[in-house]
Amino acid sequence: MHSEARPPLALTLGAVLGLLFLHLPILLIFLYAFTTEDRSYQFPPPDLTTKWFGVAWNRADIWPPLYLSLRVAAISSGLALVLGTLCAAAMARARFFGRDTISLLVVLPIALPGIITGMSLRSAFAIADIPFSTWTIVLGHATFCVVIVYNNAVARFRRLGASMLEASADLGANSFQTFRHVILPNLGSALLAGGMLAFALSFDEVIVTTFTAGQQSTLPIWMLNELVRPRQRPVTNVVAIVVFSATFLPILAAYYLTRSGEETAGGGK
Amino acid sequence: MTAAVEFHNVSRHFGTVRAVDRVDLAIDEGSFFAMLGPSGSGKTTCLRLISGFEKPTTGSIRIFGEDMGDVPPNRRHVNTVFQDYALFPHMNVRDNVAYGLMVKGVERRTRHERAEELLSLVKLDGFGERKPAQLSGGQRQRVALARALVNEPRVLLLDEPLGALDLKLREAMQDELKALQRRLGITFVFVTHDQGEALSMADRVAVFNDGRIAQVGTPSDVYDRPATRFVADFVGSSNVLPPDLTRSFGGPRLWASLRPESIRFTGASDPKAKGRVTALRYLGSGTRVALETGGQEIAVLVPAGAPVPDIGEVSGLTWDPAALHLMEDA
Repeated sequence: MHSEARPPLALTLGAVLGLLFLHLPILLIFLYAFTTEDRSYQFPPPDLTTKWFGVAWNRADIWPPLYLSLRVAAISSGLALVLGTLCAAAMARARFFGRDTISLLVVLPIALPGIITGMSLRSAFAIADIPFSTWTIVLGHATFCVVIVYNNAVARFRRLGASMLEASADLGANSFQTFRHVILPNLGSALLAGGMLAFALSFDEVIVTTFTAGQQSTLPIWMLNELVRPRQRPVTNVVAIVVFSATFLPILAAYYLTRSGEETAGGGK
Repeated sequence: MTAAVEFHNVSRHFGTVRAVDRVDLAIDEGSFFAMLGPSGSGKTTCLRLISGFEKPTTGSIRIFGEDMGDVPPNRRHVNTVFQDYALFPHMNVRDNVAYGLMVKGVERRTRHERAEELLSLVKLDGFGERKPAQLSGGQRQRVALARALVNEPRVLLLDEPLGALDLKLREAMQDELKALQRRLGITFVFVTHDQGEALSMADRVAVFNDGRIAQVGTPSDVYDRPATRFVADFVGSSNVLPPDLTRSFGGPRLWASLRPESIRFTGASDPKAKGRVTALRYLGSGTRVALETGGQEIAVLVPAGAPVPDIGEVSGLTWDPAALHLMEDA
């Protein structure tokens, strides 16, 4: 059959090269976590070892940034879950003047370059005389985390339809019961996916963090510093593997959770 | 006897649109009441005013004598069968039906037993474990019906209940709904744009036009004695006669309706009117003859077996004077 004809060789080759170009560097980062040589990235690695995992484990300067990153990601995605869901609920059900404008304003931070968000937040903190803390980083991250959750939730709300909520009220449920028995079960996987995406994005965010962290360093910022002044280089690669797992796995899970709905929004930030 | 539902001068405005405009209405307890009208005539808004999803802009609504002013939908003894059924997709059929009992805190075993009883009432025994997505349209509607009945409402509202079903199923459901209503003895209020449905199922019909009620009455009142031009046009296929034609047909100078089946052909020398046959339509149970008279087209229904004139023929017409029904110009 014609439709099953093989694509031209050049196209296949192009696709393979493209994929290699995208993914080989990641594999190289994994590879150098195992090299025995710690001063320069020599290829091929002279020998392979797992000792850097032990070294990384014992390096005291890795743990505080890791904790900070986890804490910031957890709080920002938690905050985003609450605010994003409430916002989506309001947008999906209400019709009021300026609704489209507000919807645009909610989504805008994800389209705004991080450097703009970071600069504006930093000057706002300076003007308001707010000292840098975990919370200033959380605020910065929440700007885009809320969007991710909002986009996921609003798509699901639209599918839920108004009459189902009315049916629940009609049968005697109060708003809390409707939320608990009708909205949440239908929204659940979208929220979980949105929350995990938000967590992953927050965990590896660098630009906004640079402006809102002050002297604190999150794990990605620690890595950036480490690359500039090399000391036990493979340790950075070990940390890279950790960051990779902490962000890639939730995104993958989010993809599978919402695959049927085709609504994993915001995966492109 | 208190009315099940009463509207006192109820209006509902959306911006400048008067969806419902100064409606007065009383629906008797235990009746099967139809709200009939074209889309946008205000019938669905009236239904939502009863269920509580809309609030009147002015006027008041009483259900069994109790003012519904500040009563939210979840505290009204009224349940709704939604047009799109609105079943909960994440619950099986039994949990859907038992939902009203669950939110009231009825324990699981009791509410499941009750749900099974209702499923059997709507002839869906053994469907409890299925998900709504695994059911046909007709079955989903029965589930929606069972779910709306689980709280034993005193008034059941049905929004275009048969709209999404195919013709055969629709006719079967008409009989079933009617039988169910008689058996339960509760008040059914249903909204439809299908005059056949309204006439065949309801005890009383309210015909809506532009947010107002044009006429309330029994199906035969509405069909045989339409109050206004709009009702005559919308309900059935009556001949609507402008004042001049009514006059020449022997009545006063007013709008009138004359049903096609009330007119007979006559060979008498002084017929009430004469018309030239322009078209014939064979309907099985009879033939619909279109005639031109006084610059106006009118229809005559000839029952099967009676002689039918040919196209172009000029025939005399006659009718029982009582069949000429006068009505308002609205």
